Amino acid sequence: MNTFRNGSGPVVWTGIVAATCLLLLVLQKILWLVVPFLLALILYYFLYPPVQQLVFRGLSRDAAAAWVTGAFLVVLGACGALMVPWVATQVVDWQAGVERYVTGGLKLLERSLWAMEARWSMLANARFAETAMGKLNHSMGGLNEHLEPIAMGIMAWTPSLLLAPFLAFFLLRDGRRFKRFLGRAVPNAFFEKTLYLLHEVDLTSRAYFQGLIKLTILDTVTLALGLWILGIPGPLALGLACAVLAWVPYVGSILGGLLVVLVAATDFPDQPAMAYWTIGLFILVRLLDDFVYMPLTIGKSLHMHPLVTVLMIFAGGAVAGISGLMLVLPLLGVVMVVGETIGKVVTDPRLMARHRHARALRRRQASADLV
Amino acid sequence: MALFSPKPVSPRLERLRALSLFVNLTPRELQIVDGLLHERDYLKDEVIFDEGEEGQAIYIVLEGTVLICRQGRPVEGRIAELGTGTFFGDLALLDNAPRVAQARAATACRLAVFFRADFLGLLETHALIASKISLQLARHIGIRLREATLGARQDQHL
Repeated sequence: MNTFRNGSGPVVWTGIVAATCLLLLVLQKILWLVVPFLLALILYYFLYPPVQQLVFRGLSRDAAAAWVTGAFLVVLGACGALMVPWVATQVVDWQAGVERYVTGGLKLLERSLWAMEARWSMLANARFAETAMGKLNHSMGGLNEHLEPIAMGIMAWTPSLLLAPFLAFFLLRDGRRFKRFLGRAVPNAFFEKTLYLLHEVDLTSRAYFQGLIKLTILDTVTLALGLWILGIPGPLALGLACAVLAWVPYVGSILGGLLVVLVAATDFPDQPAMAYWTIGLFILVRLLDDFVYMPLTIGKSLHMHPLVTVLMIFAGGAVAGISGLMLVLPLLGVVMVVGETIGKVVTDPRLMARHRHARALRRRQASADLV
Repeated sequence: MALFSPKPVSPRLERLRALSLFVNLTPRELQIVDGLLHERDYLKDEVIFDEGEEGQAIYIVLEGTVLICRQGRPVEGRIAELGTGTFFGDLALLDNAPRVAQARAATACRLAVFFRADFLGLLETHALIASKISLQLARHIGIRLREATLGARQDQHL
């Protein structure tokens, strides 16, 4: 595998980075399809082992894919049905909880601003705390107004998210046929290399999603440990929530940090130092995540240098915003394999010569009786 | 009674079972292997692979004849000519070492290609199938080794 990757020069790498950025620009326009497709891929790698087991036990691939996807949907539906009554009873509590934590956070902010004013007269002269809190209260006063677009957004996204299990089913059922179909379109001269390419793309995707799961576990454990040491309630749940939010680089991290600080500020209203310690812990975990965990898990799974991983995350954010941050690494992994393989094939004079020879033979055969 | 009678095997699977590599596989196992094979058509004189090329797959001759020879010397460097039911490039299933000879289509032929990654996948997911294929492969390599040691016929290769 590594021998195949040797020798990709700066031209190929420039092409890979440019193609990744270009694809990001295009894909962010069709997020309604990209997001369910990514979810379908995760589902595919999750459901693939049971499908393989059923195939080995004598079922056809079509039947195995149908049974496993059906069973997954039934379990999902059953869980949903069981959760609905519990969710209905908890909604009121959740609403009260959210309001309590938002109020706690606002109080912490207000105290911090007043403390800053007391220290710097310039801020006091500008009535900084009063102005900032006034604006914040004004915007929070319309909190309910923000709920409507969020609810509408969820409703608009639901149909496309429902695509995910169907896409996963077709990937499970027809993935191999699609691979063979693609293989048939490739000339004989490049066939072995193309098989290798398809295999590498599959390995890369699998490694990425497995890396993502490892990263989530590492983030959860580290943050939960820190929160537990600080004495924050529910450290594991908070750690898990923050780790899942961190699937969206940077923006998800900010939301996660806000969540942890709100909890600290509300549950320890008389100890503002606790909130500051929590912020410090969160920044430490984020730094660990970005510069140690992510290169070791996702970056390693994609066989990428840690520096390239970090630079491409920044590039993805600059090119396509939040969706770019989310998509840049899996996309780069796939483009890297495709780009390196195409680079290998088109710069191999022997393969190109064999392809030309085969074409000449086919032309000759087609025109044999036309003399 | 029909419930207990053996399931009829399709002509395609029968043809696969006739290949020495898959001779020990049951119809169900053959069906799984069949899903992994790629069919390719080659014209007479078309190069299948070159000597020194990194091997990624084993080739099984379904129709036609394949010439194994030294690189670029199909006449004076001839090593063997393989007909229907035989296979070549088998060492590629074991590692990705360079091919030791060139393979060319001696006549128009149809080949089944078994990719190494799929074989390695079988070792993990369908160990029984993989072990049956491995045993046949080991027998085949053993015969070649014996023949090479005794200096006997050289119509098997690679």
